[in-house]
Amino acid sequence: MPPPATPLVDVRGLHVRFGEVEAVAGVDLEAHAGQATALLGRNGAGKSTTMRVLAGVVPPTSGTVTVSGHDVRAHALRVKQAVGYCPDVGGLVPRASPWEHLQLSARLRRLDGWEDRGRDLLERFGLGDVAHRVTAGFSHGMGRRLSVLLAALHEPDVLLLDEPFDGVDPLGVEATLDVVNDARVRGACVLVSTHLRELAVEACTSVSVLRGGAQVATLPASEMLGEDGARAYRSLLG
Amino acid sequence: MPTAASSARRSVADVGHLLRFRASGRRRPAVLALTIVAAVTLVVAVAPALAPGAGDGGEGTAQDLRAVLPAALAGFVLLAVLSAGASGGGRELIARDATAVFPVSPTTDHLGALLLAPLNIAWILQAWALLGMTSYAVGAGGLVPAQVLVVLWLVAGTAFAQAIGWALESVRRTTHGPLVVRALAVAAAATALVVQASGHAGDVLDSLPTHGVVVVLADGVTARWALSVLVALVAVVALVAVGAWPAHVAARRSPREEHLVESGQYRARALPASALGAMVRVDRASVWRAVPIRRGLAVLALGPAMIALLGGLQWDSMTILPGLVASGGALLYGVNAWCLDGRGTLWRESLPVDPATVFDARAYVLAELLLAASLVTVCVGGLRAGVPDAADAAALASTLVVVLVQVVAAAMRWSQRRPFAVDLRSARATPAPPAAMIGYSSRLALTTTTTGLLFSTAALLGPWFVSPLLAVPMLVWSGLRLRRTRRAWLDPDRRVTVTMTVAAA
Repeated sequence: MPPPATPLVDVRGLHVRFGEVEAVAGVDLEAHAGQATALLGRNGAGKSTTMRVLAGVVPPTSGTVTVSGHDVRAHALRVKQAVGYCPDVGGLVPRASPWEHLQLSARLRRLDGWEDRGRDLLERFGLGDVAHRVTAGFSHGMGRRLSVLLAALHEPDVLLLDEPFDGVDPLGVEATLDVVNDARVRGACVLVSTHLRELAVEACTSVSVLRGGAQVATLPASEMLGEDGARAYRSLLG
Repeated sequence: MPTAASSARRSVADVGHLLRFRASGRRRPAVLALTIVAAVTLVVAVAPALAPGAGDGGEGTAQDLRAVLPAALAGFVLLAVLSAGASGGGRELIARDATAVFPVSPTTDHLGALLLAPLNIAWILQAWALLGMTSYAVGAGGLVPAQVLVVLWLVAGTAFAQAIGWALESVRRTTHGPLVVRALAVAAAATALVVQASGHAGDVLDSLPTHGVVVVLADGVTARWALSVLVALVAVVALVAVGAWPAHVAARRSPREEHLVESGQYRARALPASALGAMVRVDRASVWRAVPIRRGLAVLALGPAMIALLGGLQWDSMTILPGLVASGGALLYGVNAWCLDGRGTLWRESLPVDPATVFDARAYVLAELLLAASLVTVCVGGLRAGVPDAADAAALASTLVVVLVQVVAAAMRWSQRRPFAVDLRSARATPAPPAAMIGYSSRLALTTTTTGLLFSTAALLGPWFVSPLLAVPMLVWSGLRLRRTRRAWLDPDRRVTVTMTVAAA
């Protein structure tokens, strides 16, 4: 039997505290290359905070977190180079245009010849016409679509999508599912945090359920399908 | 069916609800700041009256003050109008997006803005100046009746300015409104310049109706005083009520300037050459595309310059201007500099770039903005002052550089220590709550005014090189403070507080 591959995302005993509030209380998570994992759970379950830790935005209070082989606390910059992150709220600089967002990302990630891919992604996500308008005037769904696009531009090793389907129209959902599939096919590790169980099952191969800041189960996505899946999910939410 | 009276009563009650809503999250320093302001106001209004020479009828300072009071009273109203006009009808009691889900009427919005108008350092300083001047001018004997009239003047003047502010905003929201308002501002400035250049400024000042007010307030309790109080009270009520009308008109129209920014196309430019260049470009866009910053900067750079030009300010007094402009510029967004990214903060923080570069870009763009505004003020203000001598030039250059570093260091420190979730989309938005803004502005005003006066004195007393020599330790001190803030920014545990707070905008 071949030894298990080293996970691209490896979380052990993650705790995150903000003052008196414990946002994450002991999450363990492993995610591998070519795999898409959904993080499910109620509001305040710690999904977004876990994603922020994985993106190198929020430092963990305790526990060990490695992303693409780099410890997030010790090597946050390397983690950020390996990750593409779509935050759960906004995620866009209000008075910069989509193209300026792409330029900033491309410059900081030292991308060459990214323009064609950038234009293609803008078209796929239905944002080609508004590429040079500031994002402050965008609808919520447009903002979500641009955030997914920005996370995917540089074809990262680890793609972190936090609530990517929230308020997004069917074409945007389709484009996002394509991005997730493309990433998996080229061997990236994908984590999708969402409330939408059906879409999580469609996009991902496995599901981790968080409750009260801690992980309660990890199971194949197929077990979350249909009515049986809904019942199983409800029971895990407590 | 609601009547005008019942709607007005409802609006007043709603202001109370909104105030309580705002106060529910208030921290102790805000209460402390307001208490200090109230205490200082009382001291300023009473103490000068007890000083030797206060209220003297003959030649002396009291008489001089009585002579300049009419212009000071008119100046207060003029600056209040400028402030209300620039801020699109005054400050918001609750941010525009937050009020969208509540049935907040334009009258409530108008009353809220009126209530917040005094929570502004320019308003407070002028009010203190008027109360203090009156106190010394009339002395202890007639203090109470005089101050009653001054307070009523402050209230009526603010209500008048608020009404004009709303009227300008309602014009600004028409098809060619922004252009019309700019043309009005240029015409007003040009008229003032012509009056000054033709030597008629004195005649204009002599014909101000505020002379009558000063005569009444200096006479103590008389029948005319009682009538004036009554008229002022009626004027306050009438102006507050009248101001609600343009507020309703403005509310029915969409804010064109903000919409133009949000719907405009911004030409793609070549990729910046470096990471710092890329960060600077996005920061610059965030600054120059924010309507409140753009509008505030224009008023800040040109307002003091016009006053200097009209007043024939000489180079030795010009050192007061850079501090004034830099402080005001920092109050447009610098004191909460990280709010520029709004909800995009989380995404920007996830980008692979050294946090030091992020800090440097933000501090650089702030410094650049303040320097540009200060230079415009000094250059325009000095048009009639001839060529400065070496001592004046050195003092002015030293002041420019020192206050720039002082203000940037303070603003970046406060931005990190006390971030606020603020969205600068609305022309009426401020980077921090009013009480915090008073704290920031008073500290900035104190530091930069002291610096300006120091260099002004240096220019008078010593050879030219005294100013640069004085500047060195001040620059080192402020530079060290800036470096300390930068070092703190590199700590991810401290940075995350800013990121999480600002991203909630």
